Amino acid sequence: MAISQDNPLLIHRLKLISLVAIGVFLIFGLKLWHLTVVQYDLHRDLAERNQIRTIPLMAPRGLVFDRDGRVLIENINSFSLFLYRNEALDLKETIRFLVEGFGIEREMLDERLREAQQYSAFRPLLIKEGLDMDSMAFLLAHQAEHPELRTLQQPMRYYRHGKLAAHVLGYVGEVSQRELESPRLSNHKPGDIVGKAGIERTHNEHVTGEDGVRRALVTSRGQTLEDVSRKPPKPGADLNLTLDLDLQTVAEEGLAGRAGGVVAFDPRNGEVLVLASGPAFDPNLFASGITPAQWKELVEDPNDPLQNRVTQSAFSPGSIFKVVMALAGLETGTVDRNTSFFCRGAAVIYGRRFRCWRAGGHGHIRLVEAIQHSCNVYFYLMGRKMGIDAIAKDGHMVGLGSRTGIDLPGEVAGTMPSREWKREVLGQPWYDGETISVSIGQGAVDVTPIQLARAVGIVATGRTARMHLTRGGNLQVPVDLQVSAPPFSAENLEAVREGMWRSVNDRGTGRGARVPGFSVCGKTGTAQTISREALERLPEEERARFEPNAWFVGFAPKEAPELVVAVIVQGGGSGGAKAAPLAGKIFQTYYEKHQKSQPQIQVAQLYD
Amino acid sequence: MISERAVREFDYPLLALVLCLACVGVLGVYSASLGSGDSSLYLKQMMRVGLGLAVCLVVVFIDYRYLVDNAFALYAGSLALLFTVLLVGTEINGSKSWVSLAGVRLQPSELTKIVIILVLARYLADLNERFLTKRQLLGIAAFCLPPVVLIILQRDLGTAVMYVPIVGGIVLVAGIRRKVLLTTIAVVLLAAPVGWFALKDYQRQRVLVTLDPELDPQGIGYQTRQSQIAIGSGGVMGRGLGNGLQTQLDYLPESHTDFIFALLAEETGLVGAALILALYLVFLLRLVGVAESARDRAGILVVVGVFCMIFSHVFINVGMALGIMPAIGIPLPLLSYGGSSILTTFIAIGLVLNIHLHRYVYS
Repeated sequence: MAISQDNPLLIHRLKLISLVAIGVFLIFGLKLWHLTVVQYDLHRDLAERNQIRTIPLMAPRGLVFDRDGRVLIENINSFSLFLYRNEALDLKETIRFLVEGFGIEREMLDERLREAQQYSAFRPLLIKEGLDMDSMAFLLAHQAEHPELRTLQQPMRYYRHGKLAAHVLGYVGEVSQRELESPRLSNHKPGDIVGKAGIERTHNEHVTGEDGVRRALVTSRGQTLEDVSRKPPKPGADLNLTLDLDLQTVAEEGLAGRAGGVVAFDPRNGEVLVLASGPAFDPNLFASGITPAQWKELVEDPNDPLQNRVTQSAFSPGSIFKVVMALAGLETGTVDRNTSFFCRGAAVIYGRRFRCWRAGGHGHIRLVEAIQHSCNVYFYLMGRKMGIDAIAKDGHMVGLGSRTGIDLPGEVAGTMPSREWKREVLGQPWYDGETISVSIGQGAVDVTPIQLARAVGIVATGRTARMHLTRGGNLQVPVDLQVSAPPFSAENLEAVREGMWRSVNDRGTGRGARVPGFSVCGKTGTAQTISREALERLPEEERARFEPNAWFVGFAPKEAPELVVAVIVQGGGSGGAKAAPLAGKIFQTYYEKHQKSQPQIQVAQLYD
Repeated sequence: MISERAVREFDYPLLALVLCLACVGVLGVYSASLGSGDSSLYLKQMMRVGLGLAVCLVVVFIDYRYLVDNAFALYAGSLALLFTVLLVGTEINGSKSWVSLAGVRLQPSELTKIVIILVLARYLADLNERFLTKRQLLGIAAFCLPPVVLIILQRDLGTAVMYVPIVGGIVLVAGIRRKVLLTTIAVVLLAAPVGWFALKDYQRQRVLVTLDPELDPQGIGYQTRQSQIAIGSGGVMGRGLGNGLQTQLDYLPESHTDFIFALLAEETGLVGAALILALYLVFLLRLVGVAESARDRAGILVVVGVFCMIFSHVFINVGMALGIMPAIGIPLPLLSYGGSSILTTFIAIGLVLNIHLHRYVYS
């Protein structure tokens, strides 16, 4: 390649251009000097005075309705106190004012300020939600001294029925640092209100809207001049529950604050109509920002009101387990419908005496009657013949020992014991004597009320449907779990149902649940919480604390089941006396609402 | 590959200047990310600078004459890429000029600037007259129009406009007769009113607002005005990094990209801003030095192209921040947040280092 002779000419021209560049940079430097030195005061003033204040516009969470479209959770307007740290002259003085004037706990305040340090000082910091009138007036009176404190109107969660269905609805609260780091809530920012329990938690993303923000030009006196920009908040999506407010009310009134749980669902599609746990808490406490003292009181309450006894507690099923036993006995061919055993009030098995609840015994008794009268001896003898592993196999098939997958957080699985389970979990061999206890639902078997409801639902329909509380929402139902049919023979199921029908309608233990015109089938249970021997050693006045749990689980109508109800009253004593009547009230209410109303309308039309 | 001579002859001061500017950029983006709360921004920026530096060093060790010789092939490739973007590109802020490659978003209209420089250097390398002929000028126009038209079709007028100073600078240095130059200027001035009507409303607004920022205090003029307030309120020493009232309050929506100069000026003051301008000026004058030592005409023209590219970007971007140029959304080279711009600038610098390295004629 030839080397050009006139390259110096090109360089000369480039140098001319670079002279232009030097000129431009000189002009820039002059302009820079003009802006920063000559006009400094003007610009400093403009920057200080015309501040832009960021005002968060919190998006209301979606409304929550029951199955008939009645509002369960709504939003009301409330005032929240915010601190603009960039405007605080003396943060220590502000903290003192907040502690003394509003009774805000100092530790909490320090904690919040510490957490906020990693964010820009221009971001308003939430101090207290749901200010009452007194606090508002107090703030107004001191506004001039503390312009850095301001209130903003914000939507606040309002649970219209207070404690009603508290364990289903759950509660909300400010997102914690730990939650922000978890993938579930990573798209949230500090100060956001998120669901902490119940469907508020499981369907949090569904009901969460998109916050807006208003940026306003304000003077140094805090007067708003004009909006610079405004992004309106987008409310969260509404959520329709499958819950029935009428039935839920009946269930909670029936529990009357006692420890226990009620669940009712439609076995055809898994929709849960009632889910009640007692004692309950008021979610509204959380909506306005629960104080540490209130929180402590709830957590330390010996009756544990935060616990959802339907899904988060496992109990001995007691005699309800006989339903599962009867089905297992028939399915394994251990007994048939006509197999009879002789009950003389007790039986000696493996050298130990096992008692029936009726001291006089049931005499010769067959399967259907054994369910009807809840004869222990029948099931002891059947259990001995079957062995624990055969019992466990059918127990697992009706879902005992596994979660239902309902859309509530923290569901426990319970225990359906087997030889393998005991070896793996406890590292001990299975003793045959334990099988006898398990046969009447005592011993190692532990189930949640919702599991037991599902198991009885399978007996009622021969099928199982994924239990759920919402229509739509975030529930992702795996297709294979939606409805499946365990391989039980129709004939065997019918025999068990017959026993359950008689228990309620033919002078059986479940007669308290009877509803005229609505063929209720069910089974009672009276489950000991400690052994009979231990109970008898206790002094008289202490025994009440260890009264057995009262159970009833049933379904109706027998021909085409629409509703399964499970009730447990902790320490309620006899299942027939305490649990069956409550279930009966729920069946009755359901019946009146659905079955009876339709013919009445038809009759009325006839006479028009 | 990396010979002892290469290590000895490498232009370290130039590389040091570039790295200084890139570090200032990372600082600016870091400060901007404090306000927006997205702390990953400056880490991304650091990664991009690292990547740019790596690509730059690769470019240094491919003899620029090889690149110039193959300029036409590169040119054909860029046209194909620009055309592809037009068909399948991703739209951001109304411009369909991005393409995603293995998760990385690139703006081919940026990288094509380098290709145009190489093509013009190749086309004009063997011409040995004092002035370009009309035929040659038409040839240059024929090379430049297709990519520019494609970029305008991507609705990325801001990037398209930036080709004018690059090509114009190369033409001026290659030599243009005064008569032709004056005629061109006259034609442009006469065509300007026609162009005025071809502009979109918002584009016209931008030009008008430059003449009088108070015309539209809430719109585009508001941005320019606030940029001036930011710079002015920084004073001589600045408010300190991360303490800029105007920028941390996020009144400037593009404080980490187009208005990074305003952000740095508010937080580091006249001193910091003047230092940044000085760094750019020393860098540009260093480019003139490299051009002087280049061994051939192609090398000189490549450096001229790079000089004009970087100078015009700084001129328009800083001019906009100071409120003396229309607000065109273009990045400040090496400082603004944005991958394609950083990559393009580093490739350009790689070419310059390369030309400097090969400045002596051996065999």
